[in-house]
Amino acid sequence: MSIVVDSVTKQFGDYTALDDVSLEVRDGSLTALLGPSGGGKSTLLRVIAGLESPDSGTVLIGGEDATSQPPQQRNVGFVFQHYAAFKHMTVAKNVAFGLTIRKRPKEEIEERVDELLRLVHLEGFAHRYPSQLSGGQRQRMALARALAVQPRVLLLDEPFGALDATVRKELRAWLRRLHDEVHVTTVFVTHDQEEAMEVAEQIVVLNHGKIEQMGSPKQLYEEPANEFVMGFIGPISELSGRSIRPHEVDILREPHDGTAEAMIDRIVHLGFEVRVELTLGDGEKTWVQTTKAQAEELELSEGDIVWLRPNAPSAEPVPVTLP
Amino acid sequence: MRSRYALRFVALAYLALLLGVPVVLVFFNAFQDGIGAAWDAVTTPEAQHAFWLTFVMVAVAVPLNTIFGVVAALVIVRQRFRGRALLNAAIDLPFAVSPVVVGLSLLLVYGTRDGWVGNWFAEQGIRIIFSTPGMILATMFVSLPFVVRETIPVLREIGTEQEQAAATLGAGPFQTFFRITLPAIRWGVAYGVVLTTARALGEFGAVSIVSGKLSGQTETATLLVESEFRRFNETGAYAASVVLCVLALVTLLAMNLIKPKEART
Repeated sequence: MSIVVDSVTKQFGDYTALDDVSLEVRDGSLTALLGPSGGGKSTLLRVIAGLESPDSGTVLIGGEDATSQPPQQRNVGFVFQHYAAFKHMTVAKNVAFGLTIRKRPKEEIEERVDELLRLVHLEGFAHRYPSQLSGGQRQRMALARALAVQPRVLLLDEPFGALDATVRKELRAWLRRLHDEVHVTTVFVTHDQEEAMEVAEQIVVLNHGKIEQMGSPKQLYEEPANEFVMGFIGPISELSGRSIRPHEVDILREPHDGTAEAMIDRIVHLGFEVRVELTLGDGEKTWVQTTKAQAEELELSEGDIVWLRPNAPSAEPVPVTLP
Repeated sequence: MRSRYALRFVALAYLALLLGVPVVLVFFNAFQDGIGAAWDAVTTPEAQHAFWLTFVMVAVAVPLNTIFGVVAALVIVRQRFRGRALLNAAIDLPFAVSPVVVGLSLLLVYGTRDGWVGNWFAEQGIRIIFSTPGMILATMFVSLPFVVRETIPVLREIGTEQEQAAATLGAGPFQTFFRITLPAIRWGVAYGVVLTTARALGEFGAVSIVSGKLSGQTETATLLVESEFRRFNETGAYAASVVLCVLALVTLLAMNLIKPKEART
């Protein structure tokens, strides 16, 4: 179901976690709340779940005003960064919890638990305890538990934040596929732009309790609303006093119109990608992203003097318009 | 290597001299006139009543202090309010104050003639001092901190995420408490209950002041031991002591049995 957040403000003492935030999440979509830590993204998610109550503003879930509802009445699925597994219960009991609370018949619960454990690939683990599972398995259990009650919306707070890089990548792709299967409106919090770009259809960038921009991953990358979004979505580099994507700079062997002279400090080979770190004539440091083939063609080596030229003028951020 | 044995020797010798020898001597003295004499000594009507009274103390003080302890721990860990630190410190008062002082302070509050509220209770026909209610109050006072102190650290450790997860899954506050919080803190609470029981069984000072020590009426097991000793009935005193020792040992054993495996050493 759709989620509408309307001018929500939340303060913790003197600290403003959310400052008049408004947001709409389409029914069945997969949205990422992206931003640096302390930006307000987790607070926003918790306000939607009812785990925090806003100082002002309203939250609508499926068109219904949920602002004053306690979490147990909202029928949302919530997944925590540190799993929040019920340690004294088996995996099956964990997954069944919401259904047990709703006093569903035993056969129905067993059937649903089996089905969910298959969905999250934990078929053989029903009688284990959470302490006997790996981090990734625990998080999948938590996800099955949240999905068991057929929530109206699924909310995930840094769901892969506590996992190691390989498992994180796996679970990301898996969450994406799961969403295609289950189609529940999903909002997840992350500070990892790559994760947001890879998984989400819509990204909401939050900083200092305000929404900087929202849009598709492509929109945010190609038309960042401001320097902050540009810097947060993808790498940036400085050239002639403005921000630019590091791959949108050409390295030339000869000076031309509009080129800047620079000396190569260091060349970092990252496989296909090559990072060239340079010092400009005015002493500023910058870096350029190029390919192995280009670096070889230009015969770049440390200490060389080269000339830099932006190759895509459109990379400049569009004039700042805060929502 | 040698220093290891030396350390072990010091620890064991210390324990043996301080705890082992006296306790063994209690057993030895209790049975010096034979098991029959010891059995007779602890089955007189006075002794039976004393053990019954001790059981009543435990049966009332332990459940009440357990409920209070869990509630107080929840308040101290989960809530922020003025006076929280004061409450936290006040819980330890029974540890710090001598039981004799506790007994005297109860006299000041509930004493029949010049107690703070004792007069009013007396008019209603309720006798608190020199009677069972006062002794129960004294026992509750001295055994109050254990459940709170054992529950607070486990409550801190589990955090609130599991409870929040339960709430998002549809559990109300009571369901969350009984299905999530209580099972998660059960070992801490159980340990607190065991310590409370041991303390309630053994309390002497405070109960002694408020009881009036009426044999067969307001005499608990510990008071019985003292009065038998004063009357030079050594067998009676030591036999009752043995019963108290055994009860304490059973309690400690129960604690070791209920402790989760990983916490056992």
